[in-house]
Amino acid sequence: MNSSLPSLIVLLPFFGAGVMGFMYLFVPTGRDLRRFYVAVGIGAPLLAALLGLIVVGEMLTLPDSASIASPLYSWIAIGSFEIDVAFVVDQLSAVMLLVVTLIGSLIHIYAVGYMWDDQGFGKFFAYFNFFLGAMLLLILADNPILLFIGWELVGLASYLLIGFYHHDTANITAANKAFLLNRVGDFGFVSGLGLLFVLQNQSGFDFVAIFSGLGGIDATMLSLVGLLLFVGAMGKSAQIPLYVWLPDAMAGPTPVSALIHAATMVTAGVYMVARFSPLYNRIPDVGLFIAGIGAASALLAALFASWQNDIKKILAYSTMSQLGYMFIAVGLGEYSNGIFHLAAHAFFKALLFMGAGAVIIALHHEQDIFKMGGLGSRLPAVRRTMLVATLAITGIPIFAGFFSKDAILAYAFASGHTTIWAVGVVVAFLTAYYMFRLYFVVFVAPSQQSSQSSPLVPLPRSMVWPLFVLAAGSLFLGFWNLPEAYGGGTWFSHELHLADHEAHLRFAEEYVLDGFNVLVALLGIAMAYRKFVRPAHPLNPPVHRLAWQSALANTLYIDTLYDRLIVRPLRGLSDLQDRLIDPKIIDGSLRGLVALYRGVAAQSARLQNGNLRWYALTFLLAVSGISLYLLIAIGGAS
Amino acid sequence: MSVVLTWIVFLPMLFAGVLGLFRVRHTVLRAGAMLSALLVLVLTLLAAMQFDPQAEGMQFVRHLPWIFQYGITYYLGLDALSLVILLVIALLMPLLYLYMWDNSTSGYWYNMLLLQTGVTGAVLALDMVLFYLFYETMLLPIFIMIGRYGHDWNHAHAMKILLFTVLGSMAMLFAILYLGYAHYNFYGNWSFAWHDLAKLPLDPQTATWLAAGFLLAFAIKIPLLGFHTWMASAYASAPTPALVILSAIMAKLGIYGLWRFGYGIFAHILHLYEPILLTLSLVGMLYYAIHAITQNDLRKMFAYSSGSHLSLIALGVVLANLYTWSGSLYLIATHALASAGIFLMIGLIHQRTNTVQIDALGGIASVAPRFTFFFTFFALSIVGVPGTGGFVAELLIIIGAFSIHPWLGVATATTMLAAMLFVFWMLQRTLFGAPAPSVTTFADLSRRETVMLAPLVLLLLITGIAPSLFAPIFTPQIQEMLLQFIHAAGGAS
Repeated sequence: MNSSLPSLIVLLPFFGAGVMGFMYLFVPTGRDLRRFYVAVGIGAPLLAALLGLIVVGEMLTLPDSASIASPLYSWIAIGSFEIDVAFVVDQLSAVMLLVVTLIGSLIHIYAVGYMWDDQGFGKFFAYFNFFLGAMLLLILADNPILLFIGWELVGLASYLLIGFYHHDTANITAANKAFLLNRVGDFGFVSGLGLLFVLQNQSGFDFVAIFSGLGGIDATMLSLVGLLLFVGAMGKSAQIPLYVWLPDAMAGPTPVSALIHAATMVTAGVYMVARFSPLYNRIPDVGLFIAGIGAASALLAALFASWQNDIKKILAYSTMSQLGYMFIAVGLGEYSNGIFHLAAHAFFKALLFMGAGAVIIALHHEQDIFKMGGLGSRLPAVRRTMLVATLAITGIPIFAGFFSKDAILAYAFASGHTTIWAVGVVVAFLTAYYMFRLYFVVFVAPSQQSSQSSPLVPLPRSMVWPLFVLAAGSLFLGFWNLPEAYGGGTWFSHELHLADHEAHLRFAEEYVLDGFNVLVALLGIAMAYRKFVRPAHPLNPPVHRLAWQSALANTLYIDTLYDRLIVRPLRGLSDLQDRLIDPKIIDGSLRGLVALYRGVAAQSARLQNGNLRWYALTFLLAVSGISLYLLIAIGGAS
Repeated sequence: MSVVLTWIVFLPMLFAGVLGLFRVRHTVLRAGAMLSALLVLVLTLLAAMQFDPQAEGMQFVRHLPWIFQYGITYYLGLDALSLVILLVIALLMPLLYLYMWDNSTSGYWYNMLLLQTGVTGAVLALDMVLFYLFYETMLLPIFIMIGRYGHDWNHAHAMKILLFTVLGSMAMLFAILYLGYAHYNFYGNWSFAWHDLAKLPLDPQTATWLAAGFLLAFAIKIPLLGFHTWMASAYASAPTPALVILSAIMAKLGIYGLWRFGYGIFAHILHLYEPILLTLSLVGMLYYAIHAITQNDLRKMFAYSSGSHLSLIALGVVLANLYTWSGSLYLIATHALASAGIFLMIGLIHQRTNTVQIDALGGIASVAPRFTFFFTFFALSIVGVPGTGGFVAELLIIIGAFSIHPWLGVATATTMLAAMLFVFWMLQRTLFGAPAPSVTTFADLSRRETVMLAPLVLLLLITGIAPSLFAPIFTPQIQEMLLQFIHAAGGAS
């Protein structure tokens, strides 16, 4: 079925961004346009969300697994490289569409309050709408080239928004790092696409055509394609080894962290793998590799999160860790579980970031959790909603994270990947520990001098009520995919129509596994409680006495390592070219030629010695030489 | 219609002659120059509309005897390849005049008028002697502009570019003359028309040497790795309008020459040079980009950036399939637009702060948001961000490379990493952070400057968002050229 609505959904935010950007640049400063920006900036995502609901509703009325296509125009057609700008809403993109537009709208509303006093209010919303448009382009694209365009544009938006506070060079450095590392990933991605295009020998490069032609492709080459595409996901979704940009990306305004670096953009890698599930199903080895990277990233990030003091960095590492879970899922072929965790995570992680943003604003831009403390009674709304999100991410029963995460772990166990399962359980323990560490230190532990003395900044309403909407989501979303063991029917997974692998557990096994997970989570909570709530004296920032502790607190010096291994050698090489290769070796050898020429010239100048007989001799030699040449060359030819 | 190309080529020169004869005032001179540029633009657009992409061979051909004893002819013609470059030239000239609008040095204006005739002539000439003539003519105004109106060390740098280029041109001239003579030898009459020379049954050894003469000239002009040491200094010393011509057009003429004459005349022998050309362009692409990282002079940095992109264009030409050739032609146009934009804006920085040293700048974003937007836009176009034309071109070249060999594809895809190595760090130190002392009074873009830059931005966006508007203009003829090339190359082996 065709409809123009999906195209409209993508174009609306771009249009909003264009209008706001133009106004921001060309309307003389001094006029307060904030109400206009709010109308356009909120209007575009809300309208997109509304249209999204209509489209998804329409799609659900269609017969089984049908999709809504929305062709716009031919992007390029050279040889068999025919790419259309065309969008498609199928079950997978419908989920993403709803998550992105609904959570996106809420965060846009939240950002009105957060950014109200900022000079660059209009610019912020122009960028924010631009991001939303790019994200929708990525999700709704009906071919991988268009997906890649959205993929790069969300990276651009991320770059612009991380560096939003551009007076501080550190923020720009963070933005650069994000773009550069993402581009390294994109280099892999585009290589994968190029290879895939060459390997498939029929015309048409949209997803349907690609998947129908996979059978004729050599498995080794297909594995290479799968790996290269996943390199793109490593960059975008902050997995080992390209993850180092994500914690630094927290330099952006907190709504940016919530929308881009938690709920939507960073999950694009997971979405991409799920989108390419027919391809990844053919190459289980690569899938296992993806799951391995996911597990390693989840573990590493959880360890880092447990040692951070900056509230946003804790959440950033937590995001990376949760993304690791999602990659475990899609790597092992349980795509719908991965997407379900993606959706649940979007709710509770956006909520966590927005709550953190509220705390940060209330405390005059304080981000160190050990300078907070005792905020529970002073920010009750924030505390309550944050508690819901914290319980959800920890995986306490009935909260969304319990169903989404445990489904992933149960599958890993059932399919015999016990190592990955074990790592997942350890990560669950660490998650419970670091999340409740955050919660206890900020809200429950005795208050600190600094946070007590100054009065809190009152929070605007637009920053508070979106928290409750998200909290409701974090609380109830799990029932959407209730497993059969709990009397549900995993409706979500059924609706998705993804090519999931099958693995079955008996209900009893599932109860035991889930019970064990809850136990582990409770253990983590208890440990956090013992360390951070029980001591009656005010908390001090932890001191790291042991080498491994300070190494973890410094995230294992990976950044320094990258700097030494890549950045400095490149600059050194550049310097070497500038000082040695170009001027000395290339120009030097040219100068050698010039010197040779001069030498010859000086020698020939000696011939002009004023001696008449000498001249006569050379004259004679020349004439006889020419005669000889004429005789041989021309005379001989005739 | 066949005179239209003649008008396009000689109109600026005619204007220069008339205006010079009457020794007009600055206001008349600039109005006249602008008028000529706009007339040429209109004529070019007319020609583009009349242009039939499906037709084979040259269109609007003007082929008249000139020095008939030696078969030298006045021979102009247009095909998709020259049309793209012609459009770029015609479009850029009015913008350059807008940039120069308040500059009252008359020599500047006359040189620019002559330069336009030189570069357009070189792109349209199909008689090798005529081509050589234009190819050399365009160098003179550049030499004068760098030497007379340039920045630091300009005399030495003007000399360096002149010597390098002339060295290459002499080698090419020798090869051209030899080809004409060979034609006389084989057929009994002289000819320097390129399609006649392409049919010469040269023995491989001679062809190899003659091809070397052509390749040397174009390798220096592009410049390929190893032939490039004139580039950075000439770019740094050239006044902005000359710099834009250098990077956006003249460097592309090196590619054009390689493509039209290198591949047109020496198709059967070029496979000998392919490994060299391939290596130089592939390595050059990254070498220049790495070299750009630590440059402190913005002009030099983007000189190397330009070198990196031209290497990519050359790579596309060398790889010779439908995708790479389309991509290279597309990149010729889009890189011209982006580099014109960036060099014009570097010129604006120079006008405002009297420096283009990165360490003396910083914090422009705090004082001039419009300037920041445009500058960032052009920088991102150079990086090849999707939505700008450069992305389309790079994607096509990458895909073409993959269809030859996967590892060649991966190597070509490193172009995605090339420009970003230096661009973002440069943006950080130029635009962001606390405002440097030199930029505290930095004025935002004026209306005239916005009008000058806006067409470039719009075109880069349109070429990026809807390449399907442009591809049909050139793909049929590219396909045709490719068939001819494969036929000629295969015929010899």
